[in-house]
Amino acid sequence: MATSSGTTSIATPGQLLGPASKFQPGPGTHIHNSNLYSSLLGVVHASQPAKPPGPSKRLTKITVPTQTPAELPTLSVSRTGVSEKREVLPEVGNTVLCRVTRITPRQAVVAILICGDTVLEAEWQGLIRVQDVRATEKDKVKIYESFRPGDIVRAEVISLGDQANFYLSTARNELGVILATSEAGNNMYPVNWKEYMDPETGLSELRKVAKPY
Amino acid sequence: MSDRRRINGPVGATIPPASEDGASREVAGSRGGRSRPPNAIRKMYLKTGVTPSASGSAYLEIETSGRSGVSGLKLSCTVHGPRSLPRSSPFSPHIILSTHVKYAPFATRQRRGYLRDPSERDLGTHLEAALRGAIIADRWPKSGVDIIVSIIEGDQDRETSKTQGDESWDLMNALSGCITVASAALADAGIDCIDTVAGGVAALVSDKGDGNPSIVIDPIPSEHDRILAACCIAYLPTRDEVTNLWFKGDLPASDAELYTKLVEKGIQASAKANRVLVECLGETVG
Repeated sequence: MATSSGTTSIATPGQLLGPASKFQPGPGTHIHNSNLYSSLLGVVHASQPAKPPGPSKRLTKITVPTQTPAELPTLSVSRTGVSEKREVLPEVGNTVLCRVTRITPRQAVVAILICGDTVLEAEWQGLIRVQDVRATEKDKVKIYESFRPGDIVRAEVISLGDQANFYLSTARNELGVILATSEAGNNMYPVNWKEYMDPETGLSELRKVAKPY
Repeated sequence: MSDRRRINGPVGATIPPASEDGASREVAGSRGGRSRPPNAIRKMYLKTGVTPSASGSAYLEIETSGRSGVSGLKLSCTVHGPRSLPRSSPFSPHIILSTHVKYAPFATRQRRGYLRDPSERDLGTHLEAALRGAIIADRWPKSGVDIIVSIIEGDQDRETSKTQGDESWDLMNALSGCITVASAALADAGIDCIDTVAGGVAALVSDKGDGNPSIVIDPIPSEHDRILAACCIAYLPTRDEVTNLWFKGDLPASDAELYTKLVEKGIQASAKANRVLVECLGETVG
């Protein structure tokens, strides 16, 4: 039942996978009475932990220190191979791709299309507020100089938000508009960090441009 | 209550004419007794992934008791979601379950309407209670899931006279089937559960032969003279927890432990159904 090596086996919800003292819980598992149980129908994967990285140079973010010992292998139950349909929920910290549906002076409403590398089945709505568009000169940001309806935007989830929207942010160099269409209807190419140019008319339009990888 | 959007059938019961064969059997009075041991459930067939458009689905069929004219239970369950909640609903840190149980109009002897009637709402509420204990709800914040069970064929003897009044006991069998099939569909949809939950029914019956009432599991009302009490249990085997208990009927006051015995038998029936469920889920992956 418990897979100590990299072999795979099938688990049903509620199946005992192993003691919690020997494994770390991964996705698709839960802990009850210091035992690890599966919570999904799927294939069990045991992954050995990566070598603990050396001490980071400098703390740029305040993070919760992880208490779990890093040398335990992580058990997870994944649905790959069981069915192609797998709903994922955008989580805080995920990078998502979304399409701008509506803009107002205070926010841009987007439809989240891809979360991580999973195409979402359901439609989830997101919101990029004016203060989350970029990290510097936040007071000078104007939404209509950053996004237009129809743009494809790469953004990061910063909050589960209110009842309807996930709150997204593009306040990093590699986040922002990755695909934009000009007013003439042509695909544009990025010129600098705030401009896209139409190759046919030669006109440029303002956007919050994502830095190409 | 009247349904104005569809063309409705005639009001009242439509009873198909009884055949010669059935009528003569009724006269002879040979009500087939229970053909199984008292602690055996009927054979069942369970399959997941029957509806391609749904996130998860399952189909459950329970065998007929071997007599002609006695139909088994046929259930189909679809799970839609997890999906985003409608805009009007408030923020929810956990998944919101909504369960619907609907009899097909042709499922029972008494024709059912297209709108849900109170007994179907009742089944839906019991099903929601049974599943809520099994789902890890906070894995899916801000989302909802719809669980729809269609009863394609009810568990009913079409020949028995209507005066017997066993409709309410049929509801118990239907609920236990609903719980089992919905649990399979939830696992197929990939919604986190602490365990697989299955339903089981135990009943206190009295037969014509002996005066003493006895406890049987998975009762068919038409196989017994009278059902005194019955309970339907939803049970999580690895946790040893009961998520839903529905008890109905009167127990004789002579035996104080009868209630506990009945619940124990219900758990036993549920554990047997769960074995089928786990076997079925294992097959879908392999």
